Amino acid sequence: MTLAVDSVSLVLGDGDQQVTALNKVSLTVEAGVLCAVMGPSGAGKSSLLAVCGGLLPPTSGRIAIEGNDLTALGERDRARLRRERIGFIFQQSNLVAALTAMDQLLLMAHINGRKPDGAHRERAEQLLEEVGLAHRASHRPDQMSGGERQRVGIARALMTEPSLLLVDEPTSMLDHSRGGEVVELLARQTREHAVATLMVTHDQAMLSWADQVAEIEDGFLGPPSTPHLKGGPPDET
Amino acid sequence: MFLALRDLVFARGRFLLMAVVIVMMALMMVLLTGLSSGLVDRNISGIRALPITHLAFEYDDKPTWSNSMVERAMWEGWADRPGVMTSTQLGNTMFNARTSKDEPVTLALWGMEPGSFIDPGADAGQAIGGDPYGVVVSRMLVAENDVEIGDTIVLDRVLTELKVVGLLDAHNNIAHTPIVYAPFRLWAEASYGPPGGPPEGESLPDILYDFATVVALQLEETTDIAAVDEELFTVALDKPMSFVASTGYKAERDSVRINQGFLLVIATLIIGAFFSIWTIQRTQEIGLIKALGASTGYLVRDALGQVSLLLAVAVTCGVGIGYGLGDLIVERTDIPYVIDIRAMLISGALVIGGGLVGAVLAVRRIARIDPIIALGQLR
Ligand SMILES: Nc1ncnc2c1ncn2[C@@H]1O[C@H](COP(=O)(O)OP(=O)(O)OP(=O)(O)O)[C@@H](O)[C@H]1O
Ligand SMILES: [Mg+2]
Repeated sequence: MTLAVDSVSLVLGDGDQQVTALNKVSLTVEAGVLCAVMGPSGAGKSSLLAVCGGLLPPTSGRIAIEGNDLTALGERDRARLRRERIGFIFQQSNLVAALTAMDQLLLMAHINGRKPDGAHRERAEQLLEEVGLAHRASHRPDQMSGGERQRVGIARALMTEPSLLLVDEPTSMLDHSRGGEVVELLARQTREHAVATLMVTHDQAMLSWADQVAEIEDGFLGPPSTPHLKGGPPDET
Repeated sequence: MFLALRDLVFARGRFLLMAVVIVMMALMMVLLTGLSSGLVDRNISGIRALPITHLAFEYDDKPTWSNSMVERAMWEGWADRPGVMTSTQLGNTMFNARTSKDEPVTLALWGMEPGSFIDPGADAGQAIGGDPYGVVVSRMLVAENDVEIGDTIVLDRVLTELKVVGLLDAHNNIAHTPIVYAPFRLWAEASYGPPGGPPEGESLPDILYDFATVVALQLEETTDIAAVDEELFTVALDKPMSFVASTGYKAERDSVRINQGFLLVIATLIIGAFFSIWTIQRTQEIGLIKALGASTGYLVRDALGQVSLLLAVAVTCGVGIGYGLGDLIVERTDIPYVIDIRAMLISGALVIGGGLVGAVLAVRRIARIDPIIALGQLR
């Protein structure tokens, strides 16, 4: 099991301001599976990603990534796990302003303490090709559209060959059809690279590409359902 | 420095502005150093030019050139002590005087035994000793008062007539006053004798020649200075300390140092402020990169690499420009200025050091940025 979340609770804030953002949440995601977590604003979606990525320690419960107990790790080791095993894709694509698309990907090698060599370059080129941006490799974020930026974010997340992708509302900044393209790409990359992908969204329309869907509300996560048989979206357009 | 270099290019406007500020600060440091060395040099250049290791003053808590008076017993006493390679007496008296062109001047009359180890000789004309009234004048009198060989300089009040027989190219001054080198006997008569010199056909009493201002010394390192001082009632100072005994030297040196100190503090603060603001502006991005898994160490190294590069390039430019400007000042003007490569490099290094301190203070912020901000509003 790539990601195993076992009755995780997260209490945020202090004093009277305390909010139970996650309430005994359990969830597993296997390699090659795109798991979507749906919920309204304030339901605890970002909180779930934060604990799964080791950005916030849960108040109770366990999180294991490829069998490694995340909750037992210190801050440094969690950062190491993030750069080695986890790919993050954020809401607003969150690219580094000064870097070209190519450099966004190569940055991942630097973060991992390596000077990018030919192999890194090749992989970056291939990933940009896969997300359809080979021709934008030398463009900086301010020279790209929102959809293109989001696709660079996906390529960047895959750069280090992670086993887990954590995706925060990848489509909220995009119009409907662009959003669809991005999620479709995400679903395809999930299968091709055999990663476990946990995507949170409040956009119902994005669920059709998911292999597994769970709903979250007020910190409670419902049981997973399978919207369609594995193998691809039902209504390919 | 992957990120740092790209940020430098991407935000080049901002970094260029900062670089210009650093260039200016390094330039100011260098010019200030050159000017202050020049000024200080004009104060004590005559002492600096002496081929001595030490000077013995009359005993005093704070010996000074203007108050010291040594007796024959002292310089003869120093002469035969072990470890004293060579020694001789030196007399220093300030005079107002008039040149052949009837211009008033202030000069420092230095009396010394002609041919002794401190006798500077002459770059033009003759050294002292040939003519009992012959003197050698240093550059400032030549440059500013048109004194030439063959001129007569008349000392006020005592009316001694000095015949200029030789010139020095160097600015040999003490307390900003040009030095006129005279035979010891002439100096003693002008300093202690009656106005107008001895009456016709008479000579002055010998005791007149038993006093001088300091004893010029070349000592071996092993010399037991304290013991000799105690015995002879003198204070021997090494050369740099003997500068301090010259009027105004310490105040001048300290005021320049205060200026340089302030400049350094300002450099540190400006660079610290710039990189603080820069880091704050980058908060979102730093949070993101941390969320991607970068360690704080990686980001800090990257940021400090950026600062170091910026400082190195800007300070090199500043020092280079300072060197060029200093050269122009020396070549084209009579402004007191000394090109001292070592002092220039130290100035540059100090600006770099100050800048790095400022940057380290600013960059500590990176450690406090929480990667959770990459996920948006949460927290
Ligand atoms: N620092 C905090 N202190 C207290 N409560 C917090 C804090 N941060 C978030 N919360 C609360 O925790 C709950 C879960 O927040 P979270 O950001 O995970 O929701 P979300 O599902 O991502 O919402 P959105 O769709 O708006 O991004 C919300 O009710 C929020 O108000
Ligand atoms: Mg959210």
